[in-house]
Amino acid sequence: MPNEPAVRRSEHRPREASRGFWAEAWSRYRRRPIGMLALGFVVFLTAVAVFAPAIAGTKPVICRYKGKLYAPCLGYFNRRWEAPIFTTDKFRGTYPQNLQDKDPQSWAVWPLVFQDPYRRVRENEWPGRSENPSRDEGRPSRLNLFGTDQYGVDIFAKMVHGTTIALLVGFVSMGLAGSIGIIVGALGGYFGGWVDMLTSRITEVVMCVPTLVLILALVAVVEKPTIWKTMAIIGATGWTGIARLTRAEFLRLKESEFVMAARAAGAGPLRIMLRHILPNALAPVLVPITFGIASAILIEGSLSFLGFGPPPPTASWGSILNSARSNLQLWWLVVFPGTGIFLTVLAYNLVGEAIQEVTDPRLREAKK
Amino acid sequence: MATFLLRRFLLGLITLAVITLIVYGLARSMPGNPLTVQLGESDPSRKLNPADQQRMLEIYGLDKPWPVGYLQWLSRVAQGDLGRSITRKQPVTQLIGERVGPTVLISGTALVLTWLLAIPLGLYASARGGHADERVIGIALYVLYSFPAFVAALFLQVIFAVWLQGTRWELPLFGMTDLPSDASWPARSLDIARHAILPVICQTYVSLAYSSRFIKANLEEVVRQDFIRTARAKGAGPWRVLIRHAFRNTLIPLVTLLGLSLPALVGGSVIIEQIFTWPGMGRLFFESIRERDYPTIMGLTFMFSLLTLAGQLLADVLYSLVDPRVSVD
Repeated sequence: MPNEPAVRRSEHRPREASRGFWAEAWSRYRRRPIGMLALGFVVFLTAVAVFAPAIAGTKPVICRYKGKLYAPCLGYFNRRWEAPIFTTDKFRGTYPQNLQDKDPQSWAVWPLVFQDPYRRVRENEWPGRSENPSRDEGRPSRLNLFGTDQYGVDIFAKMVHGTTIALLVGFVSMGLAGSIGIIVGALGGYFGGWVDMLTSRITEVVMCVPTLVLILALVAVVEKPTIWKTMAIIGATGWTGIARLTRAEFLRLKESEFVMAARAAGAGPLRIMLRHILPNALAPVLVPITFGIASAILIEGSLSFLGFGPPPPTASWGSILNSARSNLQLWWLVVFPGTGIFLTVLAYNLVGEAIQEVTDPRLREAKK
Repeated sequence: MATFLLRRFLLGLITLAVITLIVYGLARSMPGNPLTVQLGESDPSRKLNPADQQRMLEIYGLDKPWPVGYLQWLSRVAQGDLGRSITRKQPVTQLIGERVGPTVLISGTALVLTWLLAIPLGLYASARGGHADERVIGIALYVLYSFPAFVAALFLQVIFAVWLQGTRWELPLFGMTDLPSDASWPARSLDIARHAILPVICQTYVSLAYSSRFIKANLEEVVRQDFIRTARAKGAGPWRVLIRHAFRNTLIPLVTLLGLSLPALVGGSVIIEQIFTWPGMGRLFFESIRERDYPTIMGLTFMFSLLTLAGQLLADVLYSLVDPRVSVD
């Protein structure tokens, strides 16, 4: 019988396997209301970022046009994903009237808020609705929930679409910083000797240059800053803390018995580092990464705010704040993006704090 | 002690050389140079013709590849000369001397305020650990800690310069003083103080939140130790235990933190000074990057890195002074 051995093996296993480290940590995390609330907020932001074109936009989420179904809202993610038929039929970005005129049979599902993050909504673009207010008249109203900027562009739409950037900045730059930090720290901690000497020196040098000085210099070197280059720069400068922690963990763990056992079994250095030490070193390293996400969002915000960010039309929260600097009368340009950045940073800090408390046994002891 | 200092000093020199090398390389790789950026931006017709430009580059020594330029810079620094600013036609040391005062005015006040408030707050929070008021303070400090300084600066500007405009609570939006330089000094200092309030608040609150949380965390660590139990057992009151026995033992990490805040004291904050157009060091750095003013960029970088390294060394030395158990050797 082919499946007999499997059955027998499962009989020999203890009735209830003890939960793994991460399952244990998660069950403790779930009991922390503030941590869960913060995590919920991050999930909410992710949802906003993913569904941004369906929340605010001027392109239909789904429409039926000349007998076919389209999803023009995807054009917000990538221009090429907007079906070419709308270009050949000369829609020029305004859908409501054009759909009616060119195919009376058509129907469309519209975004929740009919506003565009990149341009001003004009008169009668949505039948019967007047033009967006501009200059200093754009205070928050029923149509423009968070008001409009000097040029009449809706702030709510800008913020919804800017969520993608706020999240991407955190994940991409910390993904990069985490990879560099873990590799540098792991090499130094595991091999020791001159490798350690070299990696520690490099880490120290990068640490000694004030972060903003290094970032401003790098941004100035990059000729045309795009959001991706900004992320790369934040990542390339933010790995030092992670490297030092990883190094300390590797130094500690490489002397442990399970590593010796692995080595005795013939595992090579790469395998030991990746399969045996890294999983055990990951929890403490996760904490500075989470805090790093918060500070990456902060740095991107301040760069855009200083005018060193990606050029328009990239809608980042920091660039809305930048446009508010010369027009402080327009308080809504300050309050909404400012609160957005603040809440996001706070949420990541709280998540980091909670992870620290559920994964660090020393802190758990302290609470008892 | 002497060998320790010597070793740290030599290592520090190497680190300093590497840092300045990197920043010099970066600065010289930025597109444009001081001549093109400064003149080309203001008026395209005033662009230098190629021959003049080449001649001026030669005068400033910018015609050679940057590694050569770096070595020249380094040898001048070794002789105690930071060079002259290209765009401001002033020696860099003089520029720094002009800007350091305003920066220390803000960051020094902020530092003193931070510690004056953070120590009582930290002590209070750990004395009342677990009570409702401690929770409220803790949450408030955490929220403050996550509040980005540039957002806070804008919020404060909106409140004090726009909403309260015309009332007696109105505060100036930016700059250091509105009065002419021949105004009497009491009026001038009052005016400068009014201008300094918002930047000082912005610099204080973040470090206040951080420092008081830091003090509390350290106190909680110390309070669990045996000598605290002994102190309680011999009948010392709760406050006496906290201040005389516990707090004195948390001074060590505090001293480290103080040493590490040295560069920020003189270096100032680029963002805060930029928002309030405060004529300090941070703003000077920002402007010098914009203008591609290599000597100023390098002079400031040199100073920042020197202070960072000095701060670390100072922290280590103070460590051994505060705690006789720690020895640097």
